[in-house]
Amino acid sequence: MSVQAFRLVCAVDRELLPQVDKAVARIECLECCGHNLYLGTSDGFIHHLLLEERSGAMPGHSTFSASRQLQRQLGTKKPVNELRAASALNRLLVLCDGVISLVHMLNLEPVPSGARIKGAVTFTLNENPLSGDPFCVEVCIVSVKRRTIQLFHVYEDRVQILKEVSTPEQPFAVAIDGYFLCLALTTQYIILNYNTGASQDLFPYSSEEKRPIVKRIGRQEFLLAGPGGLGMFATVAGISQRAPVRWSENVIGATVCFPYVVALDAEFITVHSMLDQQKKQTLPFKDGHILQDFEGRVIVATGNGVYILTPLPLEKQIQDLLSNHRVEEALVLAKGARRNIPKEKFQVMYRRILQQAGFIHFAQLRFPEAKELFRSGRLDVRELISLYPFLLPTSATFTRVHPPLHEYADLNHLTQGDQEKMNQCKRFLMSYLNEIRRTEVANGCKEDIDTALLKLYAEASHENLLDLLGSENSCIMADSATWLEKYKKYFALGLLYHYHGQDAAALQLWAKIVNGELEDNTRPDLFEYIVDFLTFCTNQELVWKYADWILQKNEQVGIHIFTKRPLEEQQKNSFRPNDVISCLHRYPKALLQYLEYVVLDQGLQKEKYHTHLAVLYLEEVLRLKAVVKGNCMELAEVQKKFQHLLQQSDFYRVHLLLDKIKDSDLLLEQAILYGKSEDHEKALNILVWQLKDFSTAEHYCLWNSENKDPIYKQRLFHQLLSVYLHSDRPDESLLTAAVDLLNHHAAEFNAAQVLRQVPDTWSAQLLSQFLVGAMRESVHRKRMSQLTLGLAKAENIIYQYEKLKATESSIVLSDKNLCQVCRDPFLEPAFVRYPNGSLVHTHCAASRHTNPSSTHHLSSPSRRT
Amino acid sequence: MLKKPDVKVVLLGDMNVGKTSLLHRYVEKKFHETVSTVGGAFYLKQWGPHSISIWDTAGREQFHGLGSMYCRGAAAVIFVYDVSNFQSLVELEDRFLALTDTASTDCIFAIVGNKVDLTDECASVNETEGEKPCHATTGSTAKVRKQVHVEDAVSLYKRVLKYKMLDEKEAPPAEKMCFETSAKSGFSVDFLFESVFDTVVPLLKKKANGPSETVDLTDSNKAMKGTRSGCCK
Ligand SMILES: Nc1nc2c(ncn2[C@@H]2O[C@H](COP(=O)(O)OP(=O)(O)OP(=O)(O)O)[C@@H](O)[C@H]2O)c(=O)[nH]1
Ligand SMILES: [Mg+2]
Repeated sequence: MSVQAFRLVCAVDRELLPQVDKAVARIECLECCGHNLYLGTSDGFIHHLLLEERSGAMPGHSTFSASRQLQRQLGTKKPVNELRAASALNRLLVLCDGVISLVHMLNLEPVPSGARIKGAVTFTLNENPLSGDPFCVEVCIVSVKRRTIQLFHVYEDRVQILKEVSTPEQPFAVAIDGYFLCLALTTQYIILNYNTGASQDLFPYSSEEKRPIVKRIGRQEFLLAGPGGLGMFATVAGISQRAPVRWSENVIGATVCFPYVVALDAEFITVHSMLDQQKKQTLPFKDGHILQDFEGRVIVATGNGVYILTPLPLEKQIQDLLSNHRVEEALVLAKGARRNIPKEKFQVMYRRILQQAGFIHFAQLRFPEAKELFRSGRLDVRELISLYPFLLPTSATFTRVHPPLHEYADLNHLTQGDQEKMNQCKRFLMSYLNEIRRTEVANGCKEDIDTALLKLYAEASHENLLDLLGSENSCIMADSATWLEKYKKYFALGLLYHYHGQDAAALQLWAKIVNGELEDNTRPDLFEYIVDFLTFCTNQELVWKYADWILQKNEQVGIHIFTKRPLEEQQKNSFRPNDVISCLHRYPKALLQYLEYVVLDQGLQKEKYHTHLAVLYLEEVLRLKAVVKGNCMELAEVQKKFQHLLQQSDFYRVHLLLDKIKDSDLLLEQAILYGKSEDHEKALNILVWQLKDFSTAEHYCLWNSENKDPIYKQRLFHQLLSVYLHSDRPDESLLTAAVDLLNHHAAEFNAAQVLRQVPDTWSAQLLSQFLVGAMRESVHRKRMSQLTLGLAKAENIIYQYEKLKATESSIVLSDKNLCQVCRDPFLEPAFVRYPNGSLVHTHCAASRHTNPSSTHHLSSPSRRT
Repeated sequence: MLKKPDVKVVLLGDMNVGKTSLLHRYVEKKFHETVSTVGGAFYLKQWGPHSISIWDTAGREQFHGLGSMYCRGAAAVIFVYDVSNFQSLVELEDRFLALTDTASTDCIFAIVGNKVDLTDECASVNETEGEKPCHATTGSTAKVRKQVHVEDAVSLYKRVLKYKMLDEKEAPPAEKMCFETSAKSGFSVDFLFESVFDTVVPLLKKKANGPSETVDLTDSNKAMKGTRSGCCK
């Protein structure tokens, strides 16, 4: 529990002390002012000594020596009760036998005027007087008169009473701050404003049982001895702003030396912290009866010895606490010290303490606490990273601060080789670095952080490794590469290369993994990944370089590097189809896919590709036909694609293909090709005679007449009809087909012509549907033309009427009429009149006519001369 | 720099009722053995823009005299009793209420019955069931009869208001200011402190704004109407 806050140092050698040999004389009181030390003794002497401080080897280890100056006995042999220096007046106030005399500080002579204050039991000086006169001290006495306090102004050699205040009970002790008196009365403590007379009870206290203590400890605040050995704090407003400290029951004197309360009893000097109320230090000290602070220096005395409590520097105390792992106390002390240390210095110190505290928690694996302290102490993360062997890049120039923030060489030392602890530490660092790498804490050491993080991830095979490398990062290339190789993270290494623009190296590595030369199964789908990578790779050379390798591995997936390229690149057409096709000659499947891509997806209208694709389809169909018997899905599919291409495309070389399939049994395809070359008769003959596929024949007529004029369509249908009807061998099914054709497509035929064509034997019944349809069509057409005619006539009449109306009356043109356009008068009889009556020059009308935007209110000009 | 606390909340109550334990529970989220408080202690709690000092006082008779000083200027006083000890409630009125004379004039009050974990809440049910005497059955888990019920606290609250000469209609309602807690289990502890803070903080703003300089006619009209209708009835 203890801290060393103070050292007790002897101030005055025994032989220097007055009358050590005479047991009767003892030190009653003392005063210290600068180097001057005054002692008042029980035999009425004042001794003046000079005190010299010599700083020791370490801060806080200073020693003292004293030398005797004058000594003087005041008139009586009565003990000197109290001594107070008023250095501004060069006077010492001495209370002896109920009288306060003024003596010269150096020669100890009483002032010539003999000024004095009589009838004082005890007195105190106001350290915060409101008079504002620097050559005057305010003295407050407890008077021998019952229940009376008196205030005096004391000057160099005169004394003036200022005020007399009577108190509700007999006062025993007094302290003063400004107008406020803090009084220990018989049964309680009170605050009394001597200016207004207002008083405020603090708390009850029995002065008969124990000696009260009233001590001003700072602006407007007092320290009081309370019940149960408490040291209580009270402000002039009568409230307590600090929790009490707990002394022993018989405290004689107490004072504050921030942040500590020092108290004296018969056996000990105790030191409590005002910050957490804990007792921090106990110094054995027998027979002490004086404890006072003089300008921040605490002096204790026995009847025959004077000692000084020298505070150890706060930093030292804090370091002691930290080295005992008492983090909380150290932080409280550091925070409490804030107002005693210049701001800049404090911040540097405090940050360091936070960091040290962080490492203490860290070493105990209390990571949340450690993290918070590292954060608030703005720790240079490299301090932390450097604890982990090999994590800092070899190129890093970092060295730990001196003196070190902790005692550990590295993590092995800290965990004493405990693997589990080590792993916990690593996991902590991972999450910590990940958290801060994008914050301002990382500024200036991003490389070190990211590289360390990469190493941790790699070692732990953590999935975040890929995310790290896949996004913006500052991993140092050389260091990371070695580490990734060490942990066989070749895929990740590839990502690293890629991030640094070394795609060639990345691909080489990945290809090796796929080829089984390196082992890393981070990505089971690495091949597809590479294909994807190349698809989006802007470096054409690389794509060409790996095209063969890719296609050998898998034509169908591999071809994606050409067919799935990003849109913007497709538009640039950086891969010329000719080049690709010549590259693909060894990979038929890929070639086919590529041509499909070029012809069907891209819609390139080049004969070469269309023909090539058609030929490939044909070859595939023929090949499949040769190997499979019966139904085959694959065959059907290819055939369908083939037919589709033949039908849709207008770019392939029809004759070349016709030559190729003339002798095959691909009749439909032949028909399509004949159709393409406008040889519909041949085509229809094939469809009807050889394939006997009438519905396809019908469709043939439809698709071949798509986007063509109706006459063309009619001709096709008539042609089909002729094929049906004019067969050499009469065939029942053909006749039926002919009837169906007529009945279903009545509108496509020229009915008159059909009627001439069909055999006379056919009944009207048979053709009734056709006839009705044809009839309807012709009636419809007739009516439509009548309607059109009628409408046209009506329109014509309307225009005639308008013309008539416009011309029926005459128009008088005078110089009053102005042209509506140019506002000039008419100089010639020719003019233009608009239907709404406005008149304009002919030339104006003409120019206006060419500029339709300005004619919106004049319409359909009618001319008149 | 530490911010000066701008709100003071004081815990009062007989020794051993669990004031220190309540505060520990609230501040540290833990329950551990305490020693009887000597003098007093306080914690600072940041509550929004306010820094609240919560004073834990000593219940022991010896330190009774310090109470007035601790209460001086308090914005809220939390009276704590032990639900298993009726006398602890009585003491609040007899000994502690007078200490609040020094509190701020618009001080609010809360009354807290602590240690509810000790009492068998279903004791009343059990009573009718089996008429079993309430004795310790299994050592530490023994439940004792609840000696103080919320209604007792509510009526004390009303007497507190009367003592302070506060209008029952203007002071926070009793249902809102009487609590039952257990520092041991943590039951209702956060709720208690947070409710008190939430009640106190809006009052501060009012105080900070001070009484308005201008006369609010609408308000005084209302007040007049109120009194008139009051006397007509
Ligand atoms: N079972 C139970 N025991 C409690 C509870 N709260 C406090 N105690 C116990 O009651 C005893 C007194 O608790 P304290 O918190 O010290 O009481 P206090 O009011 O601060 O007492 P003084 O400081 O003397 O005024 C301790 O032994 C606690 O463990 C509670 O909610 N349930
Ligand atoms: Mg307590």
